[in-house]
Amino acid sequence: MFTPDRSKYPKHVNGRPEIDLSSGKYTKVWHGPQHPGITGNMALEITLCGDEVVESITHVGYLHRGFEKLMERRTFIQCFPIVCRIAVPEPAFNEYCFSAALEELSDIEIPEQAQWLRTFNLELMRLSSFLMWIGGMAGALGQGTIGQWCVTHRDYVADLFEEMTGGRIYHMYMLPGGVRAPLPPGFKERAFKVFDGIEKMLDAVDKVLYNNYVFKQRTQGLGIITRDMIERYGVVGPNARACGVKRDVRLDEPYVKYDELDFDYVTANASDAYARAVCRFEETLQSIDLCRQVLNKMPKDGPFHTKTPNVMNWKVAPGETYAKAECTRGEYGFYMVTDGSDKPRRVHARGPSMTHAICLMEQLAINTNVSDIAGLMVSIHTYPPEVER
Amino acid sequence: MKLKDVISPFYVWKRAFEKPYTNTNPLETRDGSANYRGFHANDIEMCIGCGTCEAVCQNAAIDMVPVEGVDTTMSDSGLRPKIDYGRCCWCALCVDVCTTASLRLTNEYTWFSSDKDEDFRFIPGIDKKSWDDNELGYRRHEGLELLDYKRQAMDHIPFEDSTKSFIEMFHGYSAKQAKLEAERCVDCGLCIAKCPAHMDIPEYIKAIRDGDFELGAKILYATNPMPATCGRICTHLCETVCSIGVQGDPVAIRWLKRYIIDQIEPGDLKDALGEIFPDNGKKVAIIGAGPGGLSAAYYLRQLGYSTTIYEGREAAGGMIRYGVPEYRMPYDQIDKETNYLKECGVEFKFNTYVGRDIQLENLMDDYDAVYFSVGLTIPYGLGIEGEEHPRVLSGLQVLDDATERVEENPNIGKSVAVIGGGNVAMDCCRVSKRYDADVHLYYRRRISEMPADSDEIHESQGEGVVFHTQAIPVRVEPADNPNQVKLVWGEAEMVTPKDGGRPRPVLQEDKIHTDTFDCIIKAIGQEGNYEFFTGEYKEKLETKWGKIIHNEYMQTSIPKLFVGGDIANPQADAISAIADGHLAAKGIDLFLLHPDDKQMKK
Amino acid sequence: MMLEKLKQTFTVTEVKEQKKNLTFFTVPKEQMEMMLITLRDHHDYKHLSFIVGIDMIEDGVFKLTYMLYNYETNHSFGIHCNIDREKAEMDSFHHLWEQVGTYQRELREMLGINFEGSPRLEENLSLDEGWDGPPPMRRDFDTKEYSNNTYFQREGRVNYDPREYMREQLYPTFPKTESDKLLNGGGKK
Repeated sequence: MFTPDRSKYPKHVNGRPEIDLSSGKYTKVWHGPQHPGITGNMALEITLCGDEVVESITHVGYLHRGFEKLMERRTFIQCFPIVCRIAVPEPAFNEYCFSAALEELSDIEIPEQAQWLRTFNLELMRLSSFLMWIGGMAGALGQGTIGQWCVTHRDYVADLFEEMTGGRIYHMYMLPGGVRAPLPPGFKERAFKVFDGIEKMLDAVDKVLYNNYVFKQRTQGLGIITRDMIERYGVVGPNARACGVKRDVRLDEPYVKYDELDFDYVTANASDAYARAVCRFEETLQSIDLCRQVLNKMPKDGPFHTKTPNVMNWKVAPGETYAKAECTRGEYGFYMVTDGSDKPRRVHARGPSMTHAICLMEQLAINTNVSDIAGLMVSIHTYPPEVER
Repeated sequence: MKLKDVISPFYVWKRAFEKPYTNTNPLETRDGSANYRGFHANDIEMCIGCGTCEAVCQNAAIDMVPVEGVDTTMSDSGLRPKIDYGRCCWCALCVDVCTTASLRLTNEYTWFSSDKDEDFRFIPGIDKKSWDDNELGYRRHEGLELLDYKRQAMDHIPFEDSTKSFIEMFHGYSAKQAKLEAERCVDCGLCIAKCPAHMDIPEYIKAIRDGDFELGAKILYATNPMPATCGRICTHLCETVCSIGVQGDPVAIRWLKRYIIDQIEPGDLKDALGEIFPDNGKKVAIIGAGPGGLSAAYYLRQLGYSTTIYEGREAAGGMIRYGVPEYRMPYDQIDKETNYLKECGVEFKFNTYVGRDIQLENLMDDYDAVYFSVGLTIPYGLGIEGEEHPRVLSGLQVLDDATERVEENPNIGKSVAVIGGGNVAMDCCRVSKRYDADVHLYYRRRISEMPADSDEIHESQGEGVVFHTQAIPVRVEPADNPNQVKLVWGEAEMVTPKDGGRPRPVLQEDKIHTDTFDCIIKAIGQEGNYEFFTGEYKEKLETKWGKIIHNEYMQTSIPKLFVGGDIANPQADAISAIADGHLAAKGIDLFLLHPDDKQMKK
Repeated sequence: MMLEKLKQTFTVTEVKEQKKNLTFFTVPKEQMEMMLITLRDHHDYKHLSFIVGIDMIEDGVFKLTYMLYNYETNHSFGIHCNIDREKAEMDSFHHLWEQVGTYQRELREMLGINFEGSPRLEENLSLDEGWDGPPPMRRDFDTKEYSNNTYFQREGRVNYDPREYMREQLYPTFPKTESDKLLNGGGKK
């Protein structure tokens, strides 16, 4: 296992260094919660010795809205508009997992077309989120131009979402029983045009960012996640795949229509921030490919929503289940418990950031240079709202 | 270090010559997509103010508020949604559950105001906005159904078999069907106002969803002591205003009512309702044991009055028993209700016809107040030549005979002509069918204008009654066989009067037909019989168009005398009679125990 | 199969196969640690997805759910463990997976469950600034009441109930049905 060099610590008590700030040897810096180099509103409380991090503590809570508690007070359909807010850049996974769990507990089969539309929506969501991430990663290392390219093209994806779902950011599209609307006419052609544009842009990103000496120098060897840390820290998604571990919920436990699509695990071996960046870059391209596949394989039309009980009086028999999906950061899931009433008894949103942003980040930050913290943070790809929920 | 890694990043310059991706606002504006969820628009004419949008809004962004220019009517609460855009999250669930599809979201997403006092809360459709006419924006897509628009079908004896007996035709909902049907309700409560008795319909439907039938029965009895009757033969006006009925089938409120009361065994009503009746020492006489009389007796008992019902016939129920055939209204169900009233302490004096066996004067002297609801019992004549023929029968008489002697043929023969288009006419047709007769129905206007329930019309047709519409009886002629009669009738043409109004049937002189039947049953309506009013009461009693004039608490022009039922209200159905009884009970209470009350004549 | 084997060693109750690759069961509190270790080390359930606490206030217990995942067979076990609600204590498993500590911090913060020996247990994740209420995920904590007492409502909002409004407008004199009284068992009784 990866053990950081702790020789600089004077003393180590109960798993934590005993730092005497008055000794003048250490500096305490708050990185965030308002910091461009951090993903969302969270803060790292960093203790430095020189410019080297000796301790990092993650603070969340700036976005706590108590979603899980709110859902206990709302009827099932009323939960639907709020779940998307649990991970702002990736609302679709919340909608999907919530709907899938509810459908499973109330024995609802959704129609074929709805499954295709869900697959497309989820994959497009991954694409949009990856674009944002690539931009963020470049930005965190001082290459803001690429950030602008990516966000511009993400906006075109948001246009597609707007046409499809009626919303750019919070789509509120996958509701229990299926989806809310069919694809508008001519959507496929417009989508392909957007994908072509993104591929062209990604080609430029590959040249400018991934074959950039500075970028390579700063990310290679940064934040290495060793193989044994994966089990121990519960690492999932591209963070795990960048260590050569093949795990992807889309392939392990195919949901919606992923079993009918042609794709494979995207892996890398170096386990560092650069490998994670490459992994995500490849997955972005894979997402575009999958989106094209879905649009080509999808039937022209068909029912996109199945009749649910009247949503105003929807009661679900007692039960519990766990529905999961592969978001851009790994296993994302909703654990839902019902008790026969019209409101869920307990809903837990399991986001990968809960482990990645806290225990993994705190461990990886040690012994890195303070200027790399932003890059390291982004390379783990965390969204704080899913930590605090 | 690879050389490529140093040179490659300079590719960035290539893109410096590309056109910018941004829009220069306000020179270039970008409209929301055709499906965009922007600001609300509401079609005020279509909206019925049911408040379902308010109920589903998880942000509590919607208030239902009265607006100018929209009146509260029986099918429209007069309220309209007002949206607080400080709270709205544009999820559009309000659009998806809108029962009338009047509410939608437009594709407008910008709104500026230089007036700091201008409120960001407004009523779509009332407060005019620039986007009101935007046709684009989110609407509920065809195929997305968050509400249940389809009614649970009620199983019944197939038409081939139904005419063979007087067994109750409809089986009633099964537990599963009732629950599914109860789940369709959106709890808006528009139906409460339309129901003459103002039954708390959403609450008893909720009791079905919760499986609490005792509570359901309590809610039923709070406004209606004859739920088993109304659960079968009510004219279900409530269903005509059901908000679900705007886009789908209305909730089967009547069948659900029947379901609740069917779950309680006849002997268990007393335990289920758990009522205790006080005694305040006052006595009230009630004339007529029909729905109006029974209802008044029950609510008077609740208030502590001792009540005695005088009924000319040998059993309670009035028109429900003697006017509604058994296949629609089994007699044991009427007995279930009247037996409970007996348990409540209501005293019945059967075979006591007021005016013959006892005089109204005596009742007025002996009791603190008298309530009468004697119903409409004298059939209208056809007003045509030859109708005195012995083979021209009264519809009410036929139904009465059917009640008294179900097994025998009430002397109608094997081919029957029924004249009329109301429920009595339908009952006569179907009763005749059950006596194995060949039945022809003659009605002046079109089927869509028949006053009978559409269900009844449908079932009559299903059972093989031959409908002759736009058919006007011209005269009745004796036939060669003294047991038969000839009906001369003419085809009519619907003519809209020059001054507008309802089209009237006009006889076409050249299209006259003659058919021979074993009997002709006239069922074109009936009027009240006030023969028992004598002396000063006859003089004082005020009537108009054959109906008794009363105040809002059913008090007649004679202060001590209260009225209700078909002789007092224009609807002339069971549920209105029950409502009258309830109102009269309150009126009698105000009259006797609240001497200061200004609404009552003393 | 595997469950049968586990049953020989552990008190496994309330087994429910929710779907093909998800099974729930319950074990007593004291066997939890050995159960997790056995599944992790002998049966390849190496991935801990999450730990959730459910407040079963009517039974007087907190039901903890540990979700384990096997990457080889793609099967999940949801392992329940009921702990007393009054004396909410559970063994700490922070030594088994690193992220357990984080989940245990959250459970302490949101449900008030104590995990003896868990590192940094007292550090709140979310409720840092001025929180003085009870653990908020407990069922008896009423968020509506809290928010009404803590925050103010926007002024000038009035809402009318269609039923009541129609009664006032259309039939104010008709005897009122007091269904709410019936619901409370009062009313006519």
